[in-house]
Amino acid sequence: MNLDYSIILNKLPFLIEGCLVTLEISFYALLLGMVFGIGGALCRISTNRFLSGMAFLYVWIVRGTPVMVQLFILYFGLPQLGIKMSSMTAGVLGLAVNTGAYITEIIRGGIQAVDKGQLEAAMSLGMNHRQAMIRIIGPQAIKICIPPLVNQFIMTLKNSSIASLVTITELFRTGEQLIYTTFRSFEVYTVIAVLYLIMNSVFMVIADKLEKRMERQ
Amino acid sequence: MSYIVEMRDVCKSFGALPVLTDFNLKFRQGEKVVIIGPSGSGKSTVLRCINCLEPIQSGNIWFEDEQITDKTDLSVLRMKIGMVFQRFNLFPHKTVLQNVIEAPIIVKGTSRDKAKQLGMDLLDRVGLVDKCDSYPKELSGGQQQRVAIARALAMNPKIMLFDEPTSALDPELVGEVLQVMKVLAEEGMTMVVVTHEMGFAREVADRVIFMDQGIIVEEGTPKDIFENPMQDRTKLFLKRIRY
Repeated sequence: MNLDYSIILNKLPFLIEGCLVTLEISFYALLLGMVFGIGGALCRISTNRFLSGMAFLYVWIVRGTPVMVQLFILYFGLPQLGIKMSSMTAGVLGLAVNTGAYITEIIRGGIQAVDKGQLEAAMSLGMNHRQAMIRIIGPQAIKICIPPLVNQFIMTLKNSSIASLVTITELFRTGEQLIYTTFRSFEVYTVIAVLYLIMNSVFMVIADKLEKRMERQ
Repeated sequence: MSYIVEMRDVCKSFGALPVLTDFNLKFRQGEKVVIIGPSGSGKSTVLRCINCLEPIQSGNIWFEDEQITDKTDLSVLRMKIGMVFQRFNLFPHKTVLQNVIEAPIIVKGTSRDKAKQLGMDLLDRVGLVDKCDSYPKELSGGQQQRVAIARALAMNPKIMLFDEPTSALDPELVGEVLQVMKVLAEEGMTMVVVTHEMGFAREVADRVIFMDQGIIVEEGTPKDIFENPMQDRTKLFLKRIRY
């Protein structure tokens, strides 16, 4: 056996830079994905058939196609129609559209999981639909949504490795480049795996704290 | 007119299932009415139609001589109609006091300080001042229902609707809720109560209505209905719940 991690550890700053790019893509993709998701969920439960239809279509298409194909359409396909964007924009947008569809379903599920009696109680006190949604249903739905949302956040962070295929130099691509110069694929891939694990663990710990804080209610 | 609510020829169905058929009912100001009947008879639906939680297919409903139409501001209407639910429906993410003061603040725009004062007064009336900072799940069913009554009263309603307020309670907790309702009745509140508590009906009701299959089978004073029912269906129902 011939394992040598010292070469890789010397190049760690290089990989850390990759981590930062991964975090950057994931952060913006999740931020935008939350916007898509909340908007999508509100459309989905809307009584307006056009809005709910559009949201249904969005979720249907995005969930039914691979994220890699979606990214490739954005980055390699659209330029043919004259729409060009930087690899970073395509990466973030693609991941956001993808994760947004899943978040749509998570939030819709959360809202619908809140007992129907809650809305009735709020309405019977004179609240309009908007007030009831913001003050009564929303806070309870958020609590229900947290565990599946954390899952989705983790998925998105991992999916960001696919952005390497549209030439974004994030953690995975940084690693690949390192292999070209060191020929140490086992060491590089395991170190990358550990770095992903660390980033996701931070996520999980924060989520755990958040959930515990909301426990009492 | 002295009628606070009038329902005329109301028809309500869930899909193909008719729940209320050409239903007519009037409530006077200050009146205490108890509605009894087997499950599925449409008792709860009557209450839910009054505050428009259920849309009706045909017929008309008046509240304080104003007809409820598509243009009625439901928020304004519902403020005047307090409702207490079988399963309490307290807001689990809010404390007892927050449950009571939420609607006055959000809907009526009452200042927080004033609402708190009002909330504590109401909690005092239902005997739960010491629980003001608890969350609903930390309370017993009876306590939760008393909070729900205080919450409904916080909007200063003209009429209170009770939809089987004690049916979800352990037997030993029924009394404390009925006691709060009795006091409310003595204070002159207009009340419509759907319940299986016949003792309460006898003691408090001005009028008892027996419903079955979406129509009023019989109505009268508690004495009439309980001691001298005219209809066979009423007799059968009363016999069944007594034994």
